Amino acid sequence: MKLPAFLESRQAKDSDLFLHSLFLAGESVYLAGYTSLIDLPQSIVMLRQLALNAAGAGKALFDRDSGVGTPMREPSEQEVLDALAAGDALICSQSGDRCLRLIPVGRTLSRALESPTTENVLRGAISAFNEDLDTNVGLIKKHLPSDTLRIRSYSLGQSQRRKTVLLYAEGKIREQLLQSIVQKLETLPDVDIPDLQALSDFFGFPKWALITRYNTSELPQEAAFALEHGKAVLLLDRFPFALVLPSLLSDMFVSQNDRNFPAIIMFSFRLLRVLGVLVNVLLPGLYVALVSVNPEVLRIEIALSIAGSREGVPYPALVETLLLLLILELTLESAIRLPTTIGPTITMVGGIILGQAVVQAKLVSNVLIIILAASTIANFTVIGFQNATALRLGKYLLLVLSAMFGVLGLFVGIVVICAYIGHVNTFGVPYLSRWKAGRRYG
Amino acid sequence: MDKSRQVIVMFWITHIGLIFFLYPTEIIGSLTAGHWCAVLLGFLIHISMLAVYTKGLSQCAPLNVIDLFQGVGRVFAFAMLLPLAIYFIMIMIITIRAYAEIVTVIFLGNTPLWTIMLLFLAVSTFICLLGIESIFRTGMLVALLFFPFLILVVVLSFQNTDWHYMLPLMDRDAATFAYTLRRPFLKSLFAFVGGFLFLGFIPPHIPFQGRKIVLASLGLIPFFLVSVYVPLLTFGENTASKFPFPFIMAVDTVDVSWLMFDRVTMFFMISMLCFVILFLSLGMWVTLLMIKRGIPVLKDPTACLLLAAVVYSVCLLVPNWSAVERLMWWNTLPRYYAAFIIPLAVFALGARRRRMEAVRP
Amino acid sequence: MRISARRLVLFAVVLAGTLALSGCWDIKDINHRSLPVVMGVKQIDDTYKVLLLIPDATPSRTDVKIISQSGSTIDEILDKIDRNMENKVDLLHLKVIIFERSVAEKGLSQSVESFMRARDISNKTLTAISVGALEPLFDKLTSSSTSDGTEMYDFFEKNAGWSPEVVQTRIWEVFRSMDSFTRDVVIPTIQPGLSTTIESNGAAVIKNGRMVGVIDSDESLLYNLFKGTGTQGKIEVMNHATVKIVADRLTRSSELKEGQATMKGRLHLKVTVLETVGAPTEAEIKQEIDEQLSARFQSMLRAAQAKEADILGIGQYFRDKLSRENLRQWRTKYYPFMKIEFKVHVIIQDEGLLKMKR
Repeated sequence: MKLPAFLESRQAKDSDLFLHSLFLAGESVYLAGYTSLIDLPQSIVMLRQLALNAAGAGKALFDRDSGVGTPMREPSEQEVLDALAAGDALICSQSGDRCLRLIPVGRTLSRALESPTTENVLRGAISAFNEDLDTNVGLIKKHLPSDTLRIRSYSLGQSQRRKTVLLYAEGKIREQLLQSIVQKLETLPDVDIPDLQALSDFFGFPKWALITRYNTSELPQEAAFALEHGKAVLLLDRFPFALVLPSLLSDMFVSQNDRNFPAIIMFSFRLLRVLGVLVNVLLPGLYVALVSVNPEVLRIEIALSIAGSREGVPYPALVETLLLLLILELTLESAIRLPTTIGPTITMVGGIILGQAVVQAKLVSNVLIIILAASTIANFTVIGFQNATALRLGKYLLLVLSAMFGVLGLFVGIVVICAYIGHVNTFGVPYLSRWKAGRRYG
Repeated sequence: MDKSRQVIVMFWITHIGLIFFLYPTEIIGSLTAGHWCAVLLGFLIHISMLAVYTKGLSQCAPLNVIDLFQGVGRVFAFAMLLPLAIYFIMIMIITIRAYAEIVTVIFLGNTPLWTIMLLFLAVSTFICLLGIESIFRTGMLVALLFFPFLILVVVLSFQNTDWHYMLPLMDRDAATFAYTLRRPFLKSLFAFVGGFLFLGFIPPHIPFQGRKIVLASLGLIPFFLVSVYVPLLTFGENTASKFPFPFIMAVDTVDVSWLMFDRVTMFFMISMLCFVILFLSLGMWVTLLMIKRGIPVLKDPTACLLLAAVVYSVCLLVPNWSAVERLMWWNTLPRYYAAFIIPLAVFALGARRRRMEAVRP
Repeated sequence: MRISARRLVLFAVVLAGTLALSGCWDIKDINHRSLPVVMGVKQIDDTYKVLLLIPDATPSRTDVKIISQSGSTIDEILDKIDRNMENKVDLLHLKVIIFERSVAEKGLSQSVESFMRARDISNKTLTAISVGALEPLFDKLTSSSTSDGTEMYDFFEKNAGWSPEVVQTRIWEVFRSMDSFTRDVVIPTIQPGLSTTIESNGAAVIKNGRMVGVIDSDESLLYNLFKGTGTQGKIEVMNHATVKIVADRLTRSSELKEGQATMKGRLHLKVTVLETVGAPTEAEIKQEIDEQLSARFQSMLRAAQAKEADILGIGQYFRDKLSRENLRQWRTKYYPFMKIEFKVHVIIQDEGLLKMKR
């Protein structure tokens, strides 16, 4: 294959590719790479310096030990393209028989380190992961300056190569867990991993699972904490979250950041989160159960005031609750899409205008509005957005069961949810296990 | 990795689920004074059989009951386990039917019986399908969530007690043990038997210590006594014997003005029902283990659904409460088989195995 | 892909099934139920008449209405009311059942039993006996109702308007007394008040479900003291002073000799002085309380003994001393001849903000 000719033909199809001819150490060479990934002037300055150094040491430019780059012998087309796609530059001689691959000065295509956007930290390190894999690994290393930290990198996928890094702490991680993860990763799938769903398919987790098998976090300190406690952390290139394996129930309630507070405050935070989960999941179901099936459980005063507030509401409590829940879910979903400048407006429209009007129009009872508001607020006391969404689904099961069987349905629903949670496991580690470094309790 | 804790919690859950509804009725029905004597006698039987059973199991440690019996011979295993399977299926039918009836009587008057039975059965089938480890873990979580409720209500239930009803502590009837042959007492033993047989079927990767279980079962004594004595102390023997569910009635008299809810009983009863659902799924799992060994053609989801369908259709055929009571009475024989023969057989086999092992090396 | 399609179908079937199922039995929302708070029962010859006080809630205010119906059994009457009302009548929240005096005199056993049997009536429901006819009482309840018709309930409710001269008797206690060898109950009597909605002037003595006598308010207070129902905050008026009971404790001992039952009771009271008339000494006040309460207690007990109604449940203290056969005859053989020694021991905790003469 004539390399310059191939590159020229490629350039016709891909205008981003540059083919720049220049003199280095007395030789006329081509420099090739992607304009969007390489800072050309800076790279040329660097190249000249390198070439001078090589010449000063008496080495030829394309020698193995010239220090300019790694020589490529008889590269295939795919190899060349892979090297270019990875953001490397190629130098090849005019004749095209010799070629070097080198790391140029790249353009900065990542954010600078910023504070987290989905997890707030009150007391603790505020820097968050960003899209650059190396930055992320570096951040973790900074947070875990320990010689037990092991890093293995893989690149997954066929047409898209995705760099993936597995981190764990030697001696802390359970051997069995590590083996199953490494085994999976080393099969090097021939499917692409564009998103977490694909990754979860690749790991063989069930598709219809409500609970994600890996806990995601944006905070290097959380990842470092997980590593130190014998979990494995997976970093994907261009994905500003660390995936912590396995995920446990305690991930909902326990965050490393809590430990920056006094112990009593830490425990009360956690208790609060547990209560938040219970309130969020139970309250809507409890309302429906008490209003339509078991009103005898309410005290008479509350019963009468709820009856009064529901007077004139045309449909059963279940439909009423579902309707309002739908609106709430819509608000939540749209709040994510909205630009921050319009957010407050929607809050006002949704909260005040809709809330007030919907009661006055006798579409829903105002007790229900209070209950659903409390439930929605409580939803976000748990740690991690992915956990909060899983909870949001759980509440509908309880709602339907409560509408059918009242308080009995509610409690049976809890048992069902408990059973499901008890059943979930990640690589043989039950979701319900209490995690201590190196060992586990049921 | 000792998992005794999970096993103990499950053991408690299954027993507590059985204690509070029917047990006090039978005990109060069987004698007029000195009820503690009947409770303790039942408990003595329970704990001695439990000790024999766990001793036998620990002697043949990695094997479960099925493997143990099969070691003797296929026919022997079949003959031993068939009545046990029948016992388990019957107890499932009775439990589902009885508890569905209790639910309609006490708080879901308008809901048809078959839907409640369907709910119980569907949930326990679901849990059973998830496997024994999930059952144990679910038990832990459910216990964690519901036990505080339970303790609260048990403490509150003493609100209206009058301790003088405890007297007389003994009378001639109780002292002569004449009640032991009466029907209610014989029936009352169901609360002692149903719960511990599952211990023999736990797979070896959930190890537990028999001694701990026996100790833990002592913790059940207060529950047994409370379930009988709270209604007695609240209403007196004369009145308590008139109620089909005396403990529930007694808890219903509790008036707590600082609580948000009016009828605390309901939450209590429902936690009990949840425990019963776990008991059912456990029973179902044990039965399935036997069925799958007996008829190897049947595989997991099919066998489970089939069993559920059979149990459900029999449940539908039970017309009324007196039929349930008759069924319970019919089940006494298999119950004694399960309560006495199985533990003793396990113990005997365990002893034989130990002797053989002592000879062999 | 086929699997997921199958799952989708399964899911749809389950969803449709659930929705269809939940319509199968009638679940009534709370605003489609009428929740009576008070039920009145009267008897004219052989027919019963039942009055229900039903709060009628609207978002802004709550009205009360009275529904009445007569028939041969209470269940039949409730059925009739249910048929005629636009809402379903649900007795789940019934708080007070008022019997007319004539019903109580004829015997409550049957109605109490049916109330206990009915699953929707809580066995915590309070009972009361109306001295006069029911209708004026109910009219008074409606006309003076300011909030939501729960006055009647508040009147008896411990954390609301209850006062220690009013006896609280729940339906299970009445039921218990019907079969008990050793225990009778009293049911508070009420009537429409002149300035207040209701007033209670004592209680009716119920023996085996039948009203046999009355006790007055002061005696009701003693009854509550004896039962151990907290009487804190009670103001006791005497000739020389007014005191407030701060704490009370009762110790009892019983003995049985040659068929003669004897009971010793000692009431320990802690009081604080609110008001004095003249200048009594502490000892005088103590003695006065003792004399007054003891005398009142003796007279109440004499009256009850004459009716063979063991309202204080004294028989309970002889349970271990009598065989079951004898216990059965407690009311006739032992109780009427029982001797009781009742002493009141008073501690004056403080004298208010003024010193008293020593």
